[in-house]
Amino acid sequence: MINIRLNVNNEDYQAEVAAYHTLRDVLRDKLGFTDVKNGCSEGECGSCAVLVDGKPVTSCLMLAAQAQGKRITTARGLATDGKLHPLQEKFIEYEAVQCGYCTPGMLLVAKALLDKNPNPTEEEVRTAISGNICRCTGYQQIVEAILAAAAETNM
Amino acid sequence: MSKVKNLFRPAEYFKPTSVEEAVKLLAQYGEKGSPIAGGTDVLAMKNPGTEALIDITGLGLNYIESDSQGLRIGATTTLADIEISPILSKGPYNIIAQAAHEVGTPLIRNLGTIGGNLCNASPSADTAPVLLALGAKLKLVSTGKSREVPLDEFFVGPFRTVKGHDELLTEIVLPPLTLRTGTSYQWLTKITTIDETLVSVAIMVAMDDKGEVIKDAKIALISVAPTPMRARQAEEMLRGKEVRDRLVEEVARVVADETSPRSRPDYRRQMSAVLAERVLKEAISRAVSNIQSGGVPW
Repeated sequence: MINIRLNVNNEDYQAEVAAYHTLRDVLRDKLGFTDVKNGCSEGECGSCAVLVDGKPVTSCLMLAAQAQGKRITTARGLATDGKLHPLQEKFIEYEAVQCGYCTPGMLLVAKALLDKNPNPTEEEVRTAISGNICRCTGYQQIVEAILAAAAETNM
Repeated sequence: MSKVKNLFRPAEYFKPTSVEEAVKLLAQYGEKGSPIAGGTDVLAMKNPGTEALIDITGLGLNYIESDSQGLRIGATTTLADIEISPILSKGPYNIIAQAAHEVGTPLIRNLGTIGGNLCNASPSADTAPVLLALGAKLKLVSTGKSREVPLDEFFVGPFRTVKGHDELLTEIVLPPLTLRTGTSYQWLTKITTIDETLVSVAIMVAMDDKGEVIKDAKIALISVAPTPMRARQAEEMLRGKEVRDRLVEEVARVVADETSPRSRPDYRRQMSAVLAERVLKEAISRAVSNIQSGGVPW
């Protein structure tokens, strides 16, 4: 077992992990971040997505040991001082959440997009979420929510 | 699948800080050791025989350099970095960025590396055809030794390469291009854009000063053979030839005949010909226009 230190949502955590544990394993099972979902474990569905130094990655395909020294953001980390992030507000307003399973991944991918490209086109939004599968909404509400959040932030 | 998942239990994780240290570990563990960079293939394949994971992301192999000697890409450069690289954003090397974009999803591309895509050696490795068309060589390093293997000699079968267990891929090297070079790349997917490639074709054409005679051509395809392949007979038909009517169509048919697709063979063969014709036309036209614009890279 390896003792690792992780920085998650601006706080430091310690965990004992095996060489083969993934970042998803340690976040969800050891540190209690159940906002990081367990989907396909193959990197195809995107429900395990977290931000590592601001970039969205499939945490099921990254070793926990490789996450040392990096800044990790989960969906919980989007709200600040109890106030929802504009993306979270718009997801609610635009009914972009049904079962909620894809939602943390979608939010984080959207945040990474808007941080890089504050005024994306609809096509750029759809490309950005192309690695996140949603079985409920048909994606339309998700795309509209992201565009609305971008518009509000740019007002 | 779940049985295999439970058997993947490597006990050791190392993060060497030098190539020397890394290849020493690879030699020590042999086939029980696995280099890991982005992890998007290693952790998806979950090989039960792996006992040690050797993290190669700390070796400084993340770079893209271009000069008069050619292009060099570090093996652990992520596909996302390749997609957005200014060096690859235009000109004949742009097909490398285009191909990198086709691998997996945006999340996978933030982790996955070009070296990993090649070493995983899937018959449908998306970065393979463009690198084959550009004449890439791979630098393989082991303790006290280093060799350069042409990419067209690297793949020996599905998911098998000539790389030894004690070797580390450090760099992909591409020769310099002449000013009269044109490249093109097109693909078809199975159903959605994140599916496996059904067939893709990449072609490089180098023409003479007048833009009339083809001096060299490389034609590469994936998903139509046990490994990424070059269509060598088709290439021979082009070398030294003037561009005339029907040449492209005839060459495209020979490309299709050189493929040996395992599944959906008729459709894949047909689509190989269709794509080869489109890609060859575009590569020739780009090579010609490169000359007509006085050699300014497009």
